[in-house]
Amino acid sequence: MASLKRSVDSDPFAANISSKVYVRSTKSGKVQKLVREVYLRQDIPCSSRLCGSCRESAPRDAAGRQTPFILSEAPAGTSVFPQGHYLVPDTNAFLTAMDLFEQSSAFYDVIVLQVVLEELRNRSLPLYNRLISLTKSEEKRFYVFFNEFRLETHIARQEGESVNDRNDRAVRKAVAWYGQHLTRTGAKKVPAVVMLSNDRDNLREAKKEGIPACSLAEYVKQLKDADTLLDMIPETEDQDTIKEKRPGEPLYPEYFTMSKMMTGVKSGLLHQGTFNVSPYNYLEGSIRVPAFPKPLLILGRENINRAIDGDLVVVEVLPKDQWKEPSTQVIEEEAITKNENPDAEETADIVSEKERKALQEEVRRTHSKTTEGHAQPTAKVVGVVKRNWRQYVGHIDQSSVSQSAQQGRKQDTVFVIPMDRKIPKIRLRTRQVAELVGKRILITIDAWDRSSRHPIGHFVRSLGELETKAAETEALLLEYDVQYRPFPKTVLDCLPKEGHDWKVPESTDDPGWRDREDLRHLLICSIDPVGCQDIDDALHSRALPNGNFEVGVHIADVSHFVKPNNAMDTEASIRGTTVYMVDKRIDMLPMLLGTDLCSLKPYVERYAFSVLWELSPDADIVNVRFTKSVIKSREAFSYEQAQLRVDDESQQDDLTKSIRTLMALSKKLKQKRLDAGALSLSSPEVKVQMESETSDPIDVKTKVLLDTMSLVEEFMLLANVSVARKIYEAFPQTAILRRHGAPPKTNFDELANQLRVKRGFELSVESSRALADSLDRCVDPAEPFFNTLVRIMATRCMMAAEYFCSGTQAYPEFRHYGLASEIYTHFTSPIRRYADLVAHRQLAAAIGYEAIHPAVRSRGRLEAVCKNINVRHRNAQLAGRASIAYYVGQALRGKATDEDGFVLKIFSNGFVVLVPRFGIEALIRLRDLADPEPAAEYDAETYTLRTSGSREVTVELFQKVRVRVTDQKDETTGKRGVKMELLSVY
Amino acid sequence: MASSQHVLLSPAELAYLHASLSLTPPIRPDGRSPTQFRPLVAETGILPGTNGSARICFADGTEAIVGVKAEVERTAQRPGEETVFLEEGGGGDGDGDDDDDEEGETGAQGDRRKGEASWVEMTVEIPGLRDDDSGTAFLSAMLSEALLADGEFVKRLWINRRFHWKLYLDIILISPPLSYPLPLLSLTTHLALLSTRLPRLKSEGDEDPFFDDDWAAAPYLFPRSSSSSATAATNTTATKQPATATRPPITLLVMAFGNNIIFDPSKEELAVADVALAVSVTSSNSSSNSSGDGENDEAASAGGRSLRLLSIRTIDPPSRLTPPGVPNAANAAYGAAAALGTQKMLEARTAETEAVEGVWRAPRGGAKRMVLGALVQKTLERGGVVDEVLDALEGVDLG
Repeated sequence: MASLKRSVDSDPFAANISSKVYVRSTKSGKVQKLVREVYLRQDIPCSSRLCGSCRESAPRDAAGRQTPFILSEAPAGTSVFPQGHYLVPDTNAFLTAMDLFEQSSAFYDVIVLQVVLEELRNRSLPLYNRLISLTKSEEKRFYVFFNEFRLETHIARQEGESVNDRNDRAVRKAVAWYGQHLTRTGAKKVPAVVMLSNDRDNLREAKKEGIPACSLAEYVKQLKDADTLLDMIPETEDQDTIKEKRPGEPLYPEYFTMSKMMTGVKSGLLHQGTFNVSPYNYLEGSIRVPAFPKPLLILGRENINRAIDGDLVVVEVLPKDQWKEPSTQVIEEEAITKNENPDAEETADIVSEKERKALQEEVRRTHSKTTEGHAQPTAKVVGVVKRNWRQYVGHIDQSSVSQSAQQGRKQDTVFVIPMDRKIPKIRLRTRQVAELVGKRILITIDAWDRSSRHPIGHFVRSLGELETKAAETEALLLEYDVQYRPFPKTVLDCLPKEGHDWKVPESTDDPGWRDREDLRHLLICSIDPVGCQDIDDALHSRALPNGNFEVGVHIADVSHFVKPNNAMDTEASIRGTTVYMVDKRIDMLPMLLGTDLCSLKPYVERYAFSVLWELSPDADIVNVRFTKSVIKSREAFSYEQAQLRVDDESQQDDLTKSIRTLMALSKKLKQKRLDAGALSLSSPEVKVQMESETSDPIDVKTKVLLDTMSLVEEFMLLANVSVARKIYEAFPQTAILRRHGAPPKTNFDELANQLRVKRGFELSVESSRALADSLDRCVDPAEPFFNTLVRIMATRCMMAAEYFCSGTQAYPEFRHYGLASEIYTHFTSPIRRYADLVAHRQLAAAIGYEAIHPAVRSRGRLEAVCKNINVRHRNAQLAGRASIAYYVGQALRGKATDEDGFVLKIFSNGFVVLVPRFGIEALIRLRDLADPEPAAEYDAETYTLRTSGSREVTVELFQKVRVRVTDQKDETTGKRGVKMELLSVY
Repeated sequence: MASSQHVLLSPAELAYLHASLSLTPPIRPDGRSPTQFRPLVAETGILPGTNGSARICFADGTEAIVGVKAEVERTAQRPGEETVFLEEGGGGDGDGDDDDDEEGETGAQGDRRKGEASWVEMTVEIPGLRDDDSGTAFLSAMLSEALLADGEFVKRLWINRRFHWKLYLDIILISPPLSYPLPLLSLTTHLALLSTRLPRLKSEGDEDPFFDDDWAAAPYLFPRSSSSSATAATNTTATKQPATATRPPITLLVMAFGNNIIFDPSKEELAVADVALAVSVTSSNSSSNSSGDGENDEAASAGGRSLRLLSIRTIDPPSRLTPPGVPNAANAAYGAAAALGTQKMLEARTAETEAVEGVWRAPRGGAKRMVLGALVQKTLERGGVVDEVLDALEGVDLG
């Protein structure tokens, strides 16, 4: 009787069919056995330009085109393979040394096997994405070969063979096949096909089978700039040898298994959250978990247990007798671990003597306190769910460099101090200490073993000398993960062919004019900061016969040029926002669009998306409509110009009158907003003035607020709110909106207490209105800046506003706390924010201008977009601020100025002073006050620090102080920063 | 389906058949010996998407496939049962090979592993019959009874105190029911369970279960003995004895004709059986494992496995419904008093008359205890039919 199974003999196609069996565990806990049939083909090309037979058989698309062959006919050779070679790395090679493959000096003509690619995706998604972008770059010539689908290279797993062994065998098989296949081409110089692997067994097997194979180190040594490249082969490679040499005792507790953590989290015994390190104390971390209103504290190296800022970790709450107060002390890693030797890994104890001393202080303090109620729950890290390691910018700690290393070329171990203070020192092994000292370098963390005090990393590349503008700017961009590479060709291909010659079509019959309103006759103008090139918005107003006003906000019609889901759209959605640095702008969209075709430049016709209101003289909305339009801006004003024009009584032309109307209406709008409880918050903002030629910073100015700024702001807010209502009405599930959550009351606890204790002000936080009112009352008649100071501090207690997709929140949660608006979105800056572009598309669909694109309607897709742009938005802000801080430091360089400052925060061994003139804050430690360090008494109840001994001062919170601001190169972070010296206390 | 399928045999044929089966030794219509099974074709792993599957085809053309699917299910918590999430130390470093220390584990944590009958769901499908047909329901009850009777089987489905495997057994007869399919379905189920594998557990203790995604690493529900498994090298007791591991139960159909005991009846044979029994048997090494090695060796030499009776069901033999033959004496065609009225004739047919040699008479009354005892004993005989069947099934290549 015939078998029901598919037998090899009976089926003529059996050789072409294989299957893959595996177990899949779903999120819901289901466990399934999956069987995938694999249909093997023989027309998957080798993609070598040498090969004629593949060119004939390679499949063609519907238009009869073939994918172009990638691998060069004359690949580069090495000392061992002078005839040229193609590389076939295995998964480990990519996992451990992706940075090598991204080098431009070597690693061309690489065959990425499907089996390797899939394994990489399972092991590390970021690395996988980097590899994918490598395969897309044309110059690197990376080719993905689907070895599992090609008949000759497919192998079935053997009985008792592990998955890894099978995959290694598949790699060897593919290498062997490539070798034979290329010999058959009959080319004069047949390139060698070389397997790259760090797996000894794999290399041994390859040798046995006669396949050319190298370990990474062997291979790199054959290249020209071997020394630089050798550094990029990570630590873990020689781990075996290190282990044998020094069987270090584990210093840190072992992590729980993943399933143990997940079970614990589900049952509520453990908690999962993102680990944050305190910026003032590297031994103190906190983690916000849903189960508790306040963040959990994680104190000490052992409890932090190798977690690094940003990691997604699981923690266990410690028993109550170990609960502590958050530290009031500044503990800087550099100061304490200064003298550690990177080579000798003292295995005895993780907590060094000095660290222990610092903690002792803490304990003594807690014990001396009677106020037990202040103790906060503490926790310890028991496992890491997801590492959030990225590449870090830092510099080599000069003191960790041994003298001999300065000259020799031998591998040396040094410490790298990351620019980000929250990241611990990283141990780095390098052969080029001499070159790298004094440079900004980019490194990655490879691992953090239980037996190692510090994480181990490897060198990626050098950004240049410390404190050069190029290096520092690039460092900032890298630190804040800003995509600053030039736009790839695929993106530029999406631009209109006419380039700068593109014009609004003259004939109104042109398809571009379909459903567009002709608003060219309106007196429209734009008001922006000086030198603004990407003009998103323009305004107009005119009186209506019935006594009401028509007001229009016209926004650049970016969605006309950026169609959903093309390469440009994808790139923009990844970049998320334009980043403004002091001397540089990193655009979200290519220049051509941002500064020309979309930009609502004066005197030319441009496509726009208009919001037109009829407003009553009291600025109540009578009605609103939205339309795509064509406009012609009459003038592009700067805020200052517009202000002058409004103030100048002699100007009586229609344009000026219409600005005055807008001004009058905007003031009414603002009053309404404030009445509703909108907060006016503050952050110390300054502007760096640059010399126009050299763009060297020469002065720092605080920003002046003009009425015209608030004019533009009010109408933009109005437009955003109107659009938000409209798109929410049209797409209740998928509208892209922006919310600002009400801050938890506990956020204000400390500030409220400080205000009560120090100044007797009550801060009420029941609603944004109450908060706004109580902030208004915090006035010190003697000190006009005091109110701003309080607002700055209150701003820091707020939650961050975020984009979201309307289906993910209930309507009451839509509220924008700061603006006191029920619903809000971003619509008015599509050139520089991706969220606005999405809102444009949704609004266009809502008014029936175009059919809604599925990408703008899919909730999952939108949630992903929101998540990304929230992060990008935040990073862009931070990068911008960091850039200003850097330039402020540069502007102060070599000068010493005496300024007034205010005490923002007090620790038991130092205090933080804000200097409003420069918008900077700096820490003044006790030891900076005088030498020897004065003794100090810190009273946490009254926020007072009293020093005695070598210098006697009393510093209180909110106090006005006179400080001398100088610049100083921070020897630890390598940043030029400001240093403040306390001159006197007012 | 009912065991009493209509058989197109005349009373005379029935009587002949019965007589020949009652001879010593009995003569079966197809010439088999009393203990001989009909030839069959068997294979496993026919359904790639299942955890285990098998197909058996009897020579008479009846054919069945069984698929086993397993799903992780949360065990309902009983009050008072403490769940331990974060056990320190994780109990005795059981990182040996996970494939074959199944038995050892049973010993170590014997009291912890519990099972419930609801963890197995069995559906039987017979073509042409509704799934709530009494015959189908009875078959299904008998098959699951054999699995669940001693509670040992469901213990294998225990993952930890919070989770267990739920096993779905789909038993399908794919040919028309030519003979009573109980033995066929039971053997196919046995084979399917033998080939069933469950993903390898990676988590420890009472954590949410977490499994190895490598199917090749999945252990068998009934761990293979060393003869077929290459990975059992560490377990020395297993290597010594080739086939003593616990097997899934089998249910056999046994008949008695007078003093003759006959296995695996064909449809015709069943139609004349005096008594028909469904006997469920399992083989286990649990006793041999716990006792000393010397005894093990004895057991091995004596046939290798210890058989245990799980359940017995009497099957209503179809012979009861067959029409009785009419003795010539009462047959009018043979000149039996024509004067007797029709009324009398009917009486004569139904009346409890003395058995007449060569005249078919449906068996009456239950099985005698002696006969039952003999049947069971014959079944459990060491080196007997069950051993033979199990050996044969073990020979099927699991793939």
